[in-house]
Amino acid sequence: MASGPTFGLIRPAASFLLGNILKIFDFLKRKKSVPPEGWENYLKQKHESFKDLLDANNAALRIMSRMDAKLAGDFVFDMEYIRSRTEMIFQACQTLIEQLNALGDNRYAELVPVFANIKIRIEEEIQAGTASGEKIPLVLPLSQVDRRLLMAVGGKNANLGEIKNRLHLPTPDGFVLTIEAYHLVLAENGLAERVGQILEKVDVDDVAHLLGQSRRLRVLVLAAEIPSQLSGAVHEQYLQLAGRLGYEPQLALRSSGLYEDQELSFAGQFLTVLNVPAPDFFPNYLKVLASQFSPSALVYLHEKGLLRQELAMSVGCLAMVPARASGVLFTVDPLGGRADAMVLDAAWGLGPSVVEGALTPDHFILAKKPQIKVLERRPGNKPVRLIATPDKGGLTSEAVPAADQRQPALTTEELLQVGSYGAQLEEYFGRPQDIEFAVDREGRLLLLQSRPLTLLQPESESELPPAIEDRHPVLIDHGSAACFGVAAGPVFIIRQDEDLASFPPGAVLVARHTSSNYGVVLHKASALVVDIGSATAHLAILAREFKVPSLVDTEKATQVLQNGQEVTVDADHLRVYQGRVEALLTAKREKTSLLAETPIYATLRRVLRWITPLNLTDPTLSNFTPASCKTLHDIARFAHQMAITEMFDLGERVGRDQVHMVQLKTTIPLNLHLIDLGGGIDADRRVRFVTPDAITSIPMKALWRGMSYPGISWAGPIPIDVKGLYSVVSRSLAGPMPDFWARTLAIVSRNYLNYNSRLGYHFATLNAFISEVRNDNYISFRFQGGAADQARRGRRAQFLGAVMARLDFQVEVTGDLVVAKLWKYPRPLMEEKLDLVGRLMGCARQRDMIMTAGEQVDWYVEAFLAGNYRFAGEPGAHPAS
Amino acid sequence: MPGTIVIVDDEPDMLMLLKIILTEKTDYQVLTTSDPNQALEWCRENHADLLISDLRMPEIGGIELLKMVKELDPNLALIIITAFGTVESAVEAMRYNAFDYVTKPFRKEQILTTVEKALRWRQAQRSA
Repeated sequence: MASGPTFGLIRPAASFLLGNILKIFDFLKRKKSVPPEGWENYLKQKHESFKDLLDANNAALRIMSRMDAKLAGDFVFDMEYIRSRTEMIFQACQTLIEQLNALGDNRYAELVPVFANIKIRIEEEIQAGTASGEKIPLVLPLSQVDRRLLMAVGGKNANLGEIKNRLHLPTPDGFVLTIEAYHLVLAENGLAERVGQILEKVDVDDVAHLLGQSRRLRVLVLAAEIPSQLSGAVHEQYLQLAGRLGYEPQLALRSSGLYEDQELSFAGQFLTVLNVPAPDFFPNYLKVLASQFSPSALVYLHEKGLLRQELAMSVGCLAMVPARASGVLFTVDPLGGRADAMVLDAAWGLGPSVVEGALTPDHFILAKKPQIKVLERRPGNKPVRLIATPDKGGLTSEAVPAADQRQPALTTEELLQVGSYGAQLEEYFGRPQDIEFAVDREGRLLLLQSRPLTLLQPESESELPPAIEDRHPVLIDHGSAACFGVAAGPVFIIRQDEDLASFPPGAVLVARHTSSNYGVVLHKASALVVDIGSATAHLAILAREFKVPSLVDTEKATQVLQNGQEVTVDADHLRVYQGRVEALLTAKREKTSLLAETPIYATLRRVLRWITPLNLTDPTLSNFTPASCKTLHDIARFAHQMAITEMFDLGERVGRDQVHMVQLKTTIPLNLHLIDLGGGIDADRRVRFVTPDAITSIPMKALWRGMSYPGISWAGPIPIDVKGLYSVVSRSLAGPMPDFWARTLAIVSRNYLNYNSRLGYHFATLNAFISEVRNDNYISFRFQGGAADQARRGRRAQFLGAVMARLDFQVEVTGDLVVAKLWKYPRPLMEEKLDLVGRLMGCARQRDMIMTAGEQVDWYVEAFLAGNYRFAGEPGAHPAS
Repeated sequence: MPGTIVIVDDEPDMLMLLKIILTEKTDYQVLTTSDPNQALEWCRENHADLLISDLRMPEIGGIELLKMVKELDPNLALIIITAFGTVESAVEAMRYNAFDYVTKPFRKEQILTTVEKALRWRQAQRSA
C-alpha cells in the first residue's frame, strides 16, 4: 500500500503533533515565574520601555531626515550644528538600545558595542572636520597620522595615514610636515599679511595678471628662510626614518592641501617632487609650498569659492620607491562603463608618466564581483619611462627597450593585488576611490595615495539626431570621453604654455596632451580635445570637476582642427563636428551650486554616511542582526522591529492568574479579559466586569467596533460539509487541544493593544499602537492554526492574507500562518483598518471548515470586501440543520 | 542692487558658505574675515553698506561690534547671525538697531532676501 505524502521525514499528523508540543514547550519555557515586582508592574514597565523606545525612534528619524535635507545644497550651517544634532541622535540611539534591552531582558546586549563602534567613527569624522585647539607638532611620523588630524596634515596625508595605520596596507614609510610648519614659515618671514594682500587682488579672468600675481607669490615663498625650530624637527624625523629603514633614503615630497583629496580633488594643482636627497630637502619643501600659488591652483581656489584662510599646506615626505611600474586605479569606471568594474592605467617607471598623460598607458578592466579578476587588457605603447636619477636628485626619462614597450607593466598577480586593495579602500572610505600605487623592483606593491573619485555619467541616453553629418562634417570620430557633455566654440590650439595667456573665454581647448598646466584656463574653456592622454589624467579629473566636455586620445586633434574654426564637441558620442550643431546644444547646463562642494558639506556628508543609509530592510532575512547594523539608522530600524516582536510576545508571558484583569461584559462569547496599563479602560480598578463603552484604548476600541459590527457572528455553528466535520474530528484525535476555550487576553493602554486569542484551534495575536504621531503607528497581526485539515487551514490563511493585502497590509502567508503588518498611517485610517480586522477575525472564524476548493477563496474575499459578512450565497454551503 | 558687504565670523566654514551664496548670482562685493577689528577697518576703508556678523566671537562679540559700527556709521546695516540657543541675545541686538538677525541653520534664500532688504534700507537712509 502506497504511503501518504510526507514532509521531510515526518508525516503531517506527526508533524502537527510535534509542532504543538514544541509550541507548548516554548510557551512554558518563556512563561516565567512571577517577577519580583509582580506581573502588573512588570507589564507596566515593559509598556513604558516600549513607549520610550518609540519616542526615541521618532526623535532619531526626525533629526536624521532634517540633517539629510541639509545636503541638498541650499542651507547654511556650521560645525556646531553637526555636533549638536549628532549628539541628539546618539542620545536617541542610546535610549533605543537601553529600552530594547529592558523589553527583551538584555537579549540585545550585542547592540551596545555595535553602536559604540559607529559612534567612534562619527566622532572621528567630526573631529577631522574641526580645527583642533591643541598644539600640533611641526613634524609627525606617518605612523601617528590619521583622519583625526585632517586639519593639521591635510587630506592627502590624512588618507595615507588611515591606509597605513588603520587598514595596515603597505605604504612607504615617512613623516609629515604639518600645517603648523607652513604657518611658522610664513609668520617667521613676515609673509602671512603680504600673501593675503596679493590674494585679495588676484583676477583669475585676466591670465597675464594672474600669471604675474602667481609669480610674485611663489617668489616670496621660495625666498623664505627656514626657521631653525623647523629644520631641527625635520632633521630628527629624517634620522629616525633612516634608522627604521637602515639607509638614508631619498624622499618623495607630496603636497597635502587642507581640503585636498577630500570632496575637492585639487588634482595636479599642487606639486609633488620625487627623489629628493636630504641636503636638498628645504628648497624642495618651499617649492611644494609655493605650488599652492601656481596659476591653475589659484583658479581652482577661486572657482571653488575657497578663502585665503583655507590656503594652508602640509607636506608628506615618503621614502622614495624605486618603482619598476606605477599606476592609477579607479575603483569604478568614472565614465559609467561596466557596472562593478574597476579601471586601471599603468606604465613603466615612476608615476608622473601615467597621470600627466604623456604616453598611452596600459589599460586594464578588472571585475569587482563576485571576485576580482582581469576582464580586459589593452597594453599601451610606452616608449619612455621615468626613473629616479641614481646618486643625485631628480628624475631621468629613459627609453624603454623595444621589446618591453608594448608589454603590460603589471603581472596578473599584481593586477589582482591592486584590485583587492582598491576594493578594501572603497569599502573603508565608503565611496569610489582614485588610487595611485607603485610596484618596486622586488615586486612589492605600495599604495601612494587614495582619494574620492570624481564621477560623471552621460547626461542622457540620447540618440544622435538624424542627418547631422550632411550639414556638419565629422572632423573627429574617435577617442575617449574624459567628461561627457556637448559644447561648441572656436578652436584654440595650445602648443606651448605661453599660449595660455591669450586663451579666449568660450574657446575649445585643443592640445597635444593633458598637461595640468592647462588647468589655468579650464574654467574659461567650453570644451577640451587632446591628441594623447587618458581619462585618469589630472586635467581630465579637473575637467570633470569643472564640467567641461572633454575628449582625450583622439590622436589627431591638433592636426585636424584649425585655430578659430567653430566646432561642436560631442563627448557623449566621441565626435567633433564642424560648425555649431544646435540640435546637440539644446540642453544648456548650468553650473551647480558650490555650497555642496564646501568642506563643511563634505564633513556633513561623511558624518551622515554613518548615520542615514539603511541596510537592514527585511526582518525576514538572516542578516537582520545587530552585527549587520552599519549605521545608526540600521540600529534604530533593528531596535524598533525587535521591540514590536517583544511586545507581540508579551501576552504569552503573562502569568494570567496573577495579574488584575477585568472581563468584558458582552454577548460575544470570547471570554475576553483586559489588563489595563494606564488609560485603556475608564473604570474603577477593583471591578471585575466592564462593558465595551468603558474601553478608552484607541486601538482596542477600534478593534472592538469591528468585532461587534452588525452582521458579524461570533456565536453558533456555521454550515459545514461532512468532510469538513471529519477533518475537525481527525484534528481532535491527532493532537492535544491547547487552551481550547481559554480566555482571550488584551493588554491595553490608551494607545496600545496587545490582543491574544486562542479561540478553538487557532491562535490570533494582534499588536497595535495608534496615536497622533503617525510615525509611531502600526498594526502587526499573526494568525495560525485552525481545526480543519491542513489544506483547508491553508485556504483560510490565503483568504485572510488576500483580504488584508487589499486593506493595504504587507502580508506573508506560509501554510496556515498569516503575518500582516501595516505602518505609519494617520490615526483615523489606522482605526478604520483595525475595525476591518475586527470584522475579518469574526468572519474568518471556523471558515477553514468550509473552504473546500482554492477557487472559493476569491469568492470569500470579494464577499467580505463587499460587506457580505454572513457570506450569503456562499458556494457549496449546506444549510444548517 | 550692488553693495559692499563685510562678513565677520570666527568660523571659516560660515565665511565660506556666506561668501559663495552672496557672490554666486549677485554683483555684491564681499569681504570676509574672522577678525572683528579687521571687519571694522574694512567697513571704514571700503564704505561698506552692510556688515554681517556672528553673535558670539571670542574677542569682540557681535553686540559690541554693532555698537562700534554704529558709532562709525549709524546708517550702516548690520545683520546678526545667531545660533538657536542665542536668539534672546539677537533680539537684544535688534534694540541696538541691528537691521535683522538670522538663526542657524538657515536657507540661502533667507539670507539673500534679508541682505537685499538691508541694502534697500541702506539706500533709503542715504537718499533721505
